Amino acid sequence: MATVIPVDEFITDEWYPGFKPAYTHAPWYIDPVQTFRKEDEENFWFLDFHWPRGLTPMGLIWNEDGYNWASQLAAEQMPLPPGRGITCRLGGTHTYGSPLPVNDLREIGQRARRLERSLPPFLQNFDGIWGDMREEVNESWDFFRGVDHSALSLTDLRENLIQARQYHKRAFEIHFQVMYPLLANYIGFYSMCTELGLDPGQIGKFLQGYDTKIMETDRELWRLTSAARAAGLESVFAASDAGQIRSALSAHGGAAGPWLTTFDDFLQVYGYRTEGSCDIALPSWNEDPTPALGMIKSFLRKDTEHDFEKARNAAIEEREAAVDAARSTLTLDEQKLFDGGLASCRAANFPWWQDDHNYYIDLRISLPMRWACQAIADRIGAGHQDDTLYLFWEEIMDVSSGRRPYDAGLRSLVEQRKQYFGYWLERRPSLPKVVGTIPESVNDPILIEIFGLNSHFLRAVEAAGSSSTVKTLTGVPASKGTGRGKARVLHNADQLHQLSPGEVLVCESTSPNWTPAFAKIAACVCDGGGTLSHAAIVGREYGVPTVTATGLATVVISDGDEVEVDGSTGRVTVIKQATNGRG
Amino acid sequence: MPDPITPAGAIAWVDDIAPDQAVGVCGAKMGRLAELYRAGVNLPQGFTVTVEAYRRHWEQAGLDAVADTALRGLGAGAEATKIEAAAATIRAEVAGREMSADLAALIGDAYDELCSRCFEINVPAAVRSSAIGEDSGTASFAGIFDSYLGVSGQDRVIDAVRACWASLFNARAVAYRLRAGLHYADMPMAVGVVELIHARASGVAFSAHPVTGKTDRVVIETNWGWGEAVVQGLVTPDHVEVGKADGRILKYQVADKTVVSAFDYAAGRVVETEMPARLVSQRVLDDEQITAITDAVLAVERHYGYPVDVEWVLDRHRREGEPVCVVQARPVTVNTPASDTPTEWNPAAMAAKYIFKT
Repeated sequence: MATVIPVDEFITDEWYPGFKPAYTHAPWYIDPVQTFRKEDEENFWFLDFHWPRGLTPMGLIWNEDGYNWASQLAAEQMPLPPGRGITCRLGGTHTYGSPLPVNDLREIGQRARRLERSLPPFLQNFDGIWGDMREEVNESWDFFRGVDHSALSLTDLRENLIQARQYHKRAFEIHFQVMYPLLANYIGFYSMCTELGLDPGQIGKFLQGYDTKIMETDRELWRLTSAARAAGLESVFAASDAGQIRSALSAHGGAAGPWLTTFDDFLQVYGYRTEGSCDIALPSWNEDPTPALGMIKSFLRKDTEHDFEKARNAAIEEREAAVDAARSTLTLDEQKLFDGGLASCRAANFPWWQDDHNYYIDLRISLPMRWACQAIADRIGAGHQDDTLYLFWEEIMDVSSGRRPYDAGLRSLVEQRKQYFGYWLERRPSLPKVVGTIPESVNDPILIEIFGLNSHFLRAVEAAGSSSTVKTLTGVPASKGTGRGKARVLHNADQLHQLSPGEVLVCESTSPNWTPAFAKIAACVCDGGGTLSHAAIVGREYGVPTVTATGLATVVISDGDEVEVDGSTGRVTVIKQATNGRG
Repeated sequence: MPDPITPAGAIAWVDDIAPDQAVGVCGAKMGRLAELYRAGVNLPQGFTVTVEAYRRHWEQAGLDAVADTALRGLGAGAEATKIEAAAATIRAEVAGREMSADLAALIGDAYDELCSRCFEINVPAAVRSSAIGEDSGTASFAGIFDSYLGVSGQDRVIDAVRACWASLFNARAVAYRLRAGLHYADMPMAVGVVELIHARASGVAFSAHPVTGKTDRVVIETNWGWGEAVVQGLVTPDHVEVGKADGRILKYQVADKTVVSAFDYAAGRVVETEMPARLVSQRVLDDEQITAITDAVLAVERHYGYPVDVEWVLDRHRREGEPVCVVQARPVTVNTPASDTPTEWNPAAMAAKYIFKT
C-alpha cells in the first residue's frame, strides 16, 4: 500500500495574517499556487530546498512566476510527454513542490512525437540559443541596474516594479525552456551509460572541467584572500565577526584602505548576487557584503590556498581519463552511441549550464524587484526598507498607486507577518521532507536530477519511521573519494561562515552561494539532489567527496558527530555521535 | 538372442562418424563434437559408446521391467521422496547388471586405441554422458547427468560408462522427465570417452551475453585447472568480455578464485580442491589466449548459425598461436536479446526510454 504522509498540519485558510486566497491568483499556466487542502494528500509533495528560510509574502512571486508559470509553460512548449511541469503548495512559509502529470496515453504519445521534433534542433543549436537568451537577460539587467530610483515618483516606482517582475518572469521562462531539454538529454545519456554497464560514479565526470561564471567568482574571492594575506590583514579578519569586518578594516586604516577599494571593485562585478536562489527577501553582496567577507575570513584560516588551475586541470584530466576508460569497455557499436550522446551533452552541457546560469538568473534576477520594493518602502515611510517585502503583490500595487494608504493596519500586518515568518523559520528543520502519497517513481527530469527524487530517495523517506537508529546512510555517490570529519549541519546559507575547515557539511541541499565552502570542507552530505545537483557538480569540481539524496542526513546526523563520507559508494557512516548531540 | 553387436555399431569415433548421423548415434553432446570436427574445430581425441550399445545392454539386462515397476504410479506431481526412492532402486539395479563380455571387449579395445592415439598408456579420459535430447530446444538436462574426469585403465572406463548409464536415473533426471512428460526410453544414453586434456586453465565461452542477450560480444568465464568448478558454479571465475566486431577486450574482471578442479593422481580423477594462495587473485588469461578462445567460440557460432556456449580447455602444452581445445558446445540459453537499442544517439528516444517511460 502506498505510504501517505498527512498534510493536515498545513491546511489553513489563515496562512499569513491578512492573507486572502485571491492573492495567490496571479496568472498561472496549468495549476495555481495554493495553500494545502486535504485532497492534496492524494498527490506527492516534497519540501523545496531552494528557500530554507521560507518565503515572505512578496517572495511568493517566485512560486507564481517560476514554478506555476514558467516551469508549466516550458513543460507544455517542449513538451515533456508525461508531465506539465511543477506546481506548489505552501506549508506555512515553506514551499512544497509537486509534479503535474499527464495521464492520457494518447496525449502522452502525441507529446512524445512533438518532443522528437523539438529536442534535437534545440540541442544542436544550444550555443546560439543560450547566447541570445543570455544577451536578452543582460540587456534588461543593464537597464534595471541603471535605474535611479530616487528620481522616480511613487507611481513610476510602481511601474518599475511591474516591469521588474515581468523581467523576472521572462527570465524564468528562459530558465525552464533551457533546463528541461538539457536535463532530458543528460538523464537520457546518463541512463544509457548505466545500461551500457558504465560505473555510475564515473558518468558525472564526462562533462566536468568547464569554467562557469560562478567559478570565476570563487576565483576572485581567493584572489582577494591572497591580497588580504599579503597586506597583513589576517589578524583584522580573525578578530572580527563577519558582520563587523568591514568597519574593522575601515578603522584599521593603512593597507586595509586599498584592499577595501579592491573589494568594492570586486563587488561591482560579482556582487550582484544573493545568498540564495530567487528570493526577493535576500540582499545582494553589494547591499550586505558580510557573506563575502565571512568567506574570505574562513579562507584565511586555511593554511593552503585553493589552487584553481590545479583543480581545473585535474578535473579535465580526470574527465578525459574517465571517458577513455569508459569507451574501452564498449563495443564499436556502443562506442558510436556513447560518442553521439557525449557530443550532444557537451554541446548542450547541463552540468555546466546548471552552474553558469545561476550567475545570470537565479542569484540576481530578484534584485530589480527588491530595489523597487525598497524604494517604495522609503517613499511610503515604512519603518524598515524590507517592510514592503511583507506585503502581498496586490497590497503593494494598491499602496504604490495611492489607492490605499500605508496605514496603521498595514504596518501592524507587516509586524505580524514578520513574526509568522520567524515562527516558520524555526520550524523548518523539523518539517516533513515529503507529504502526501509517496509514488513508485517520479518522471519529471528536474525532480529526478535536481531534487534527487529517485527511487532510492523515495524508499528512504518511506522508511523514515525508524530513522533514529540509523547509523549508516546511503545515497547517490556524487563525487568520489573518502572524507572524514566533524559534521556541521546547516539549514541555510546564512550559517555558512560557521563552517570550519575540515568539517563535513551536512545540509538539505546546496545552492550556488554555498560554492565557496567547498574549498574548505572535508566532505558534503545532502538530503536531496542527484548526480547533477549543485553539490554533486561542485563536489566534483573541487574534489570534495560528496553523497546526495540520502533522504535524512540532516535529521540523523547532529552537529559534532564524527562522520565518514564515501563518495565512491554513496555510504555515509556516523562513526561517533557527539556527546551532547549538539557540538 | 540378437546378433552380437559389431565394433562399428557399438563404438563411433569423433573423427569418423558422418555428421548427419552423429547426434542420432552418439547423443547430443558427443554428436555435436563430431559435427564440429568436420567444421575444423580443435577437439580432443575420443569415441562414443553409442546409443545402440546402450539399448542392447538395456534389453539384455532386462532393465525395462525394473524401471517400469519402480516408476509405476509416479506422475508429474509425485513427491520428491518417492521419486528419490524409485530412482535409487533403478540405479542400484542398473549398476548391478554386468555389461556383456562382447561390449566390454569392444570398449576396452577402443580405449586402447585412444591410448595409442594419445601416445600414453592408460591415458586419463573424460567419460561423459551424452543422452539423446538432453539439451534440446525444449528441455535442458545440462549438468544433470554424470561425467567423470581423469578415468584411466580399461576397467575403470567400463565402470564409468555404466555409471553414466545409471545417471539417467538420477533423482533430478527422473523428476525432470516426470514434469516434462518424457519417458526414459525417449532419451537413450550414449557415453563419450575422450582424452583428458591437461588443463592449464578452462572455462566456458558464450557467443552472446548470457544475461543481457547482447550478441555483440563474447563472454568468457574461466578458472585455473579443469572447468568443472566453473560449470558447477563452485567458484567465482574471472569474467572477460570481448567485442565481436574488433576482437577488443572490453572487460577483464579478475575474481578471487578459491576452488580449483585439479587432477588427483592418487585417486585417479579430477577433484575440487582449495586453490593455491598465489593463484587465487591472479589473472588467468592473457590477451593472446583470450583471442584464441574468442576465435574458437566464433567458429562454432559460425558453424551453427546461432549463439552458442562452449566449454574449452587451454592445454598446458599449448603454444602461442595454437587453437584452444573445445570439449563441448551447445546452443546458448539466454534471456530475450537486448531489444531495440538504437545505434545512433537520439535524445528524444533516450529520454522517452529512460525518463518518461512512454
